[in-house]
Amino acid sequence: MSKRRSASFILVDVLLILMILLPLFCGMVIKILTTPPTDEISIAGAQIYFIVPMPLQDMPITESQVNSWLVILSLLGVCLYLTHGLSPTYETRRQHFAEMIVEATDNMVNSNMGAYFKAFSPFICAIMALSAFSSLLTLIGLYPPTSDLNVVGGWALLVFFLITYYKFKCGPIHYLKSFAEPPALTPLNVISEIATPISMAFRHYGNVLSGSVISVLLAAALGGLSVTLFGNLPGILGKLPQVFPILRVGIPAILSLYFDIFSGCLQAFIFAMLTMLYVAGAFPAEDYARKMEKIKNKNKKTN
Amino acid sequence: MGNLEVISINFWNIVISLCNLLLIFLIVKKFLYAPVHKMLAERKAKIDGDYTAAAKAKADAEAQEAAYRQKLDGAKEEADALIKAAVADADRRSDEILSEAKEKADGILRRAETEADLEMKKAEEGIKTEIVGVSAALAEKLLGREIHEADHRVLIDDFLSEVGNSDDQRK
Repeated sequence: MSKRRSASFILVDVLLILMILLPLFCGMVIKILTTPPTDEISIAGAQIYFIVPMPLQDMPITESQVNSWLVILSLLGVCLYLTHGLSPTYETRRQHFAEMIVEATDNMVNSNMGAYFKAFSPFICAIMALSAFSSLLTLIGLYPPTSDLNVVGGWALLVFFLITYYKFKCGPIHYLKSFAEPPALTPLNVISEIATPISMAFRHYGNVLSGSVISVLLAAALGGLSVTLFGNLPGILGKLPQVFPILRVGIPAILSLYFDIFSGCLQAFIFAMLTMLYVAGAFPAEDYARKMEKIKNKNKKTN
Repeated sequence: MGNLEVISINFWNIVISLCNLLLIFLIVKKFLYAPVHKMLAERKAKIDGDYTAAAKAKADAEAQEAAYRQKLDGAKEEADALIKAAVADADRRSDEILSEAKEKADGILRRAETEADLEMKKAEEGIKTEIVGVSAALAEKLLGREIHEADHRVLIDDFLSEVGNSDDQRK
């Protein structure tokens, strides 16, 4: 196990770790440079950096986009770092970790979606990683892209495309027929189909945003409380809570534990789980197998 | 520049986010899953190779063991045959030696017997002649005249045969 690593190996490792950490650091620097100093409590969306004029609608490049890209860059670094120095015989801790991730998602996809959707495991892993790390950006004070409806909406839209793609596997007639399963419920079926991506997007976005809102409200409340509790102290001590709201230290961390870490990871998991279930459920496996058999038989006859 | 509304829908942002997810999917697939799966396949191939090599080695060892056992059995039989042959040879040799010795001993005994017989006869003859001489002398003395040996031969022989008989009886 204690095989000596070459200097170039360590150099690449260091570069990869920098590749993981630098985007996050850059994000913090950008945040500090662009956030105007304000005392007001405000619950607003992502900060707009610049607006690109586009045909349908102007395209604002906001914190959520930039932070998403930073997370992607960071995750690319993580992937490269985990797979750096992979070998079938010489095992490192990071290799075990990489194997664990891959095998866990493979197993999860296999048990939830079946062997047919084997190729989905990188997608599920990507959703989970992007969602979880986007939400966890709040830990370093950055705007979590998952609290932007557009970001999560884009993911949900992609999942909706996938669902529709797999529903179309047996042809458009079968697709249309699937809505009229009990014919009386056709409008409801159509609504539930459209509701799927919307509910997914709003569930994720709402959870993360509500966490941020509650955190902001709590911070404001604690600031006010510290002023009212300690503001009447004599001399300079009475002025201190206005500059440094003492009650804000530590207490929000407990809520942050739930809203930022637990909720962020849980929502990532739920989003990935729903993706798996919806996509696997959309695929008419039996009808598809029957169709394939028919095609096979036809081919045999023509042959 | 200001902020977005808390709930705002922007088509392009949705497209960007969709592309982001596709991008991270490709990254994860290419840089995490492909290498890990490749490594796992390599490991599996290596382990399979090890197993087949081990099975082959085991089969080889078993075949060798069987061959050795066969050889060992052959050697045992050979040794048995050798010992048997040697024992038979030795038996034969000892019989030969024994019979030879017996013959020799018999020869020696026979010779000794004949020699002893001869000696005895010689001695008997000697004694006879002596007795004859002595008795003749005695008779001469007694009778005062010369006894003609030839004349009295019959008489003496009778006597002697009597003596001899009494000798034989004593034996």
